Amino acid sequence: MKRREFLQSLALAAAGVAAHSPADRAAAEGMRDAAQIDPSDLTWGKAPCRFCGTGCGVEVGTRDGRVAAVRGDRKSPVNRGLLCVKGYHLPGFLYGEDRLTKPMLRLADGSFEAISWDAALDMIAERYAKVLETDGPDAVAMYGSGQWTVHDGYAALKWVKAGMRSNNLEANARLCMASAVMGFMTQFQSDEPMGCYEDFEAGDDFFLWGNNMAEMHPVLFSRILETKRQRGDVRIVDIATRRTPTSDYADLYVEIRPGTDLALANGILQQILAKGWVAESFVRENVVFQRGNEDLEEIGWGCYGAQKDRYTFADSGRDSSIEELGKFLADYTPDKVATLCGIPSAQVETLAEMYGASNRGTVSLWCMGVNQHTRGTWMNNLLNDIHLLTGKIGRPGANPLSLTGQPSACGTVREVGTLSNRLPSDRLVTKDEHRTTAEQIWGLEPGTLPAKPGYHTVDMFRALSRGDIKAIWIQTTNPWVSLPNLNRFERSPGDGRFIVVSDIYPTPTTQVADLVLPSSAWVEREGVFGNTERRTQQWNKLADPPGEAREDAWQIIEVARRMGMGHLFPWGEDEWHEAMYEEYRRFSLGTGKDVASYAQLKETRGMRWPVVDGKETAYRYAAGRDPYVTKSKGVHFYKAKKYGEKAAFWLRPYQPPAEVPDDEFPLWLTTGRVLEHWHTGSMTRRVRQLYQAVPKAYVELNRSDAIDLEVGTGDRVRIVSRRGALEATVEVDGRGKPPRGTVFMPFFDESILVNQLTLDAMDNISKEPDYKKCAVRVERVARG
Amino acid sequence: MRALLFCACLASLALVSGAARAEPTSAAERAARRLFDGAPPAIPHDSAVGACVSCHSMAGREIPSMGYAPASPHARTAGIAAVPCKQCHVEKRTDEVFVGSTFRGIEQDLRSGKRANPLAPPVIPHMVFMRENCAACHTGPAARSEIRTSHPERANCRQCHVERVTTGVFAPSRETSAQGR
Ligand code: SF4
Repeated sequence: MKRREFLQSLALAAAGVAAHSPADRAAAEGMRDAAQIDPSDLTWGKAPCRFCGTGCGVEVGTRDGRVAAVRGDRKSPVNRGLLCVKGYHLPGFLYGEDRLTKPMLRLADGSFEAISWDAALDMIAERYAKVLETDGPDAVAMYGSGQWTVHDGYAALKWVKAGMRSNNLEANARLCMASAVMGFMTQFQSDEPMGCYEDFEAGDDFFLWGNNMAEMHPVLFSRILETKRQRGDVRIVDIATRRTPTSDYADLYVEIRPGTDLALANGILQQILAKGWVAESFVRENVVFQRGNEDLEEIGWGCYGAQKDRYTFADSGRDSSIEELGKFLADYTPDKVATLCGIPSAQVETLAEMYGASNRGTVSLWCMGVNQHTRGTWMNNLLNDIHLLTGKIGRPGANPLSLTGQPSACGTVREVGTLSNRLPSDRLVTKDEHRTTAEQIWGLEPGTLPAKPGYHTVDMFRALSRGDIKAIWIQTTNPWVSLPNLNRFERSPGDGRFIVVSDIYPTPTTQVADLVLPSSAWVEREGVFGNTERRTQQWNKLADPPGEAREDAWQIIEVARRMGMGHLFPWGEDEWHEAMYEEYRRFSLGTGKDVASYAQLKETRGMRWPVVDGKETAYRYAAGRDPYVTKSKGVHFYKAKKYGEKAAFWLRPYQPPAEVPDDEFPLWLTTGRVLEHWHTGSMTRRVRQLYQAVPKAYVELNRSDAIDLEVGTGDRVRIVSRRGALEATVEVDGRGKPPRGTVFMPFFDESILVNQLTLDAMDNISKEPDYKKCAVRVERVARG
Repeated sequence: MRALLFCACLASLALVSGAARAEPTSAAERAARRLFDGAPPAIPHDSAVGACVSCHSMAGREIPSMGYAPASPHARTAGIAAVPCKQCHVEKRTDEVFVGSTFRGIEQDLRSGKRANPLAPPVIPHMVFMRENCAACHTGPAARSEIRTSHPERANCRQCHVERVTTGVFAPSRETSAQGR
């Protein structure tokens, strides 16, 4: 026996080996049937996750044109191989038994009948052409999504704005990110954060403002937790109106009354000024002061009186100064703020001290609590203000870092500009030179793009209900679940309006449609998303769509062709993705928002703009890091031409919410998401594991309120607001714990439509609705 | 190292008192907890009972009246010690489904890994990332018989078992293969 064979036989003897006895082996073999899928049989490709704005990289394993597995992409700098439970269950959302596979037309009796793509596309083209002819471009509309790919958004932008010459193009990001957009625009004249995810390792103190990050941006939150584990001195502050799983990890939990975040932020500014923590030379060099319209009568909330049908308030600014700021802040001493917020005044001082400490890197993080707010733009301004006043901006570990909810709210809605007042790369329809650029790139007759902004989302659906909009096409979103004050938006078939809905499953929105189109989703088509940290990510088509499902962008292009607008989409049937993206990219080049080339996106795990000479930018406005900065050190807000390339600090007061609890409706209602479900649940509820974890919406009650009502977990209650009523099951001391006087409900459940209760009050500047604050009462339902 | 030795002891202990313990989860049950093989399993018990890692520790723990809480396969994964377990594992609270599904994912394959020859140590057929604590699944009362190691006393598993990261084979450069001819 040779030495090697000898060793092998030794090893075999040592192995001894229960697992390799013939009986065991046969049993194990039995578990593998002929059709089983072996991981090594799969073809793997890269894609960003379909769900949240974190933008985790995943590897997608496919076989026979179907997705069979995903795993976290270890090459992605976003998540380094880790995902959250939604990401791990991505393949499941594609394969619900009721996927839409054919265009469906509603018949007179209300039922749906399958029709051909040709018939469907012809019908849309004819109906839109007819409305354009009889009622003009203000009567047509398209409503899309932050889950649209860049291609979908760009096709929609071109069809609506360049083709139909209408600005009635909106997207559901109006309901989630518009206040952040307006915050950045009013202060830096350029949307999107200067910071990036590297702040999670570089920062010392993390302030979460109204932001349940452990459930909503889980992978990012675990990056902070890991930093905290490695470096003991890291602190997390959770400022919220309800205890969430995030609060459990916080060093300091600050529970404020709904809407008083404005007062708290001003209280922090007051202390920074009073205690001399202002970064004086930074402010002198980089900041100007502005003050806007604060007339409560004039501003309103967008939901009462004449504003009930149309909300068009426009803010106006005037020059202010740090001296005026000092006087303005006299109303925000720790004592006054403490009384308003319902917290000890020492807490205000502690928070200010943390922000004011010049040796600590401070990162502010926020999402829906701040954005879905009747003064959401103001609140965004105040958070950016704190960072401006302390000079904690534009360097690693010190930034106001607004988090985005949807996978491409940034890449598509905010960058492509699929909103009623925008054009690509920070351009506005109201600016002549911006329209001129668009006309040049699109080859249009000069002066023909419309300068008047279209309806913002809530007004768009109000106009549809009134009949002022006669044709609307809704893609990749579910407004009949997600709009506030839903009962306003009832429609009956045959009411003279034409509603087209493209989606992948039946939803309450497809139920009100006249024509339903089956879309391909995620890796069933090629696409590009852009995440929170300005990272543009591309993926190839990796799987086949079911039946006749087609991608949203294709649907739009085909309709445009049938309306005689084919010249806007001059690309071949198959190879148009790169060409279309490269045309869009021309808008971005030279603006400081330069997106990467398609070729580079294909090769990388995404690139953060501005991308110049093939190099990405981690920190915007930072000397030595951002290629557009001409200064040799510090920061340079080069986009803010209006303010002499400085950032604008806005003085913004506290104003009360649109509706506050009273005797008749004594409780606050706040709404939101849960970890397991994405938005209105039409995708995640079709994944067994996610549905079985959180099957139905419920109402979280404080224990004391539950005792008063004599109810407990599992009991049924009726929740009533001025606008509607519904029943739900109580949960006490579950994952979320509202304070006494507040109830919480998630909005993912189409059978318990919490938006029948919410109020269509809006932010005065961004026109983003406030889903977080309205008044309700809760009644016990007799046990049956 | 100490933890692994502890693991090994525990495993031998399990062999002694094995008859009294509950059997590992059946193959069907194991599959039902996952969307596809490799996806995080759902939590099959009330998840509000306490800190997950107090039972799902480096070595696992026998819980009277509940059975054996398997060790965490992630107990040795770098960079995730602070990640909340419930970021990925959620509790199953109902048997209902919203609508049926036509999804067919990778199914579990409980056969042992491939070998170069009958005597060679099998290669690791799954991703090692997130499963660095080999002992969690390959030793102890929770280990399935098909994949239970015969040699839990050898602490450094990856000295002999390597991860297969590609199905491709070595292709020498043109220069080297020219020399070979
Ligand atoms: S954190 Fe967001 S992007 Fe990452 S896996 Fe979860 S849902 Fe997907």
